[in-house]
Amino acid sequence: MSVVVRTIARLLLPWVLAFGGYVIMHGHLTPGGGFQGGAVVASAVALVVIAFGAEGLKGQKNLFSFLEDLGAIAFVALAFLGIGSTFFRNVLAGGGGLFGTPVPFGPNPGWLNTGGTLPLMNWAVGLKVLAGLGSVVLLLALFGGKEDG
Amino acid sequence: MRWLRLGALLLVVGFLLGTAVWLRPFGSPTAFEMDDYFLKNAQVEAGANNVVTSVVFDYRGFDTLGEATVLLCAVVGVAFILRRVKP
Amino acid sequence: MTLWTVLHILTLLGVLAGAAVAVWLKDLLAAVIALAASSLLLSLAFYLLQAPDVAIAEAGIGAALTTAIYVLAIRKTRRREEG
Repeated sequence: MSVVVRTIARLLLPWVLAFGGYVIMHGHLTPGGGFQGGAVVASAVALVVIAFGAEGLKGQKNLFSFLEDLGAIAFVALAFLGIGSTFFRNVLAGGGGLFGTPVPFGPNPGWLNTGGTLPLMNWAVGLKVLAGLGSVVLLLALFGGKEDG
Repeated sequence: MRWLRLGALLLVVGFLLGTAVWLRPFGSPTAFEMDDYFLKNAQVEAGANNVVTSVVFDYRGFDTLGEATVLLCAVVGVAFILRRVKP
Repeated sequence: MTLWTVLHILTLLGVLAGAAVAVWLKDLLAAVIALAASSLLLSLAFYLLQAPDVAIAEAGIGAALTTAIYVLAIRKTRRREEG
């Protein structure tokens, strides 16, 4: 692509990545969550692929596959944590340990150490979505159609 | 044929506009017991301020599992179609 | 008629206009950009309807990723629509 697109992409990339990480990390406090944040980070991957070409990311294909599988397996494993009572039971919420600070009813400033398994599931789904959609864009740029060398 | 197509288009547009006009007022659902339960208890039970996330990942976790499976199947399908074949 | 209603109606009219322009244009790259603008305005409409979760998802998927996939597909095929 042209030098304008490349300069804008270079300027914009850290902010898009930071916003995606923020949306994933604060998914249990502010609007957003794993799926939305993963989509934002995957759009950063698409920005890199459009602006700089897919050849630089060619070696990362296996990394994307690994991250997607890791996210899926972590999600199902976190769901299996509560198999003692029900599938998908939130066992860590309110327990006082990891992500276990109790939350009172009503408006509050929002603490990061709350939510039980929800932040961990946010990370798992975010990893899965960013790797999945990023690898779709990457594969389409690398292997689809006539430019395939 | 042309008039038939125009009539069908007008019918669909009129139906959609009528639906938009006769819609229930925004923010007053018919069945609100479940909404009230979530709004009252989700913050204490799931420990998260964002009630939407606690519904998506805790109360309705199976839906999210299905969505993740759909995404996995889509990515596997794309990777299978766009694989490098040796000629 | 409040400011919210006026803004909402203008946003929905913008969505309709973007979709119509995307159908009307023969240059496929310009049509994809019109579709992205329509999708971004749809995300603004979701935000005005107090659904910020759906707004972020729509802005990420509809406006960014779909556009990227369409641009990649157009780069691999022809740019102008025939007929």
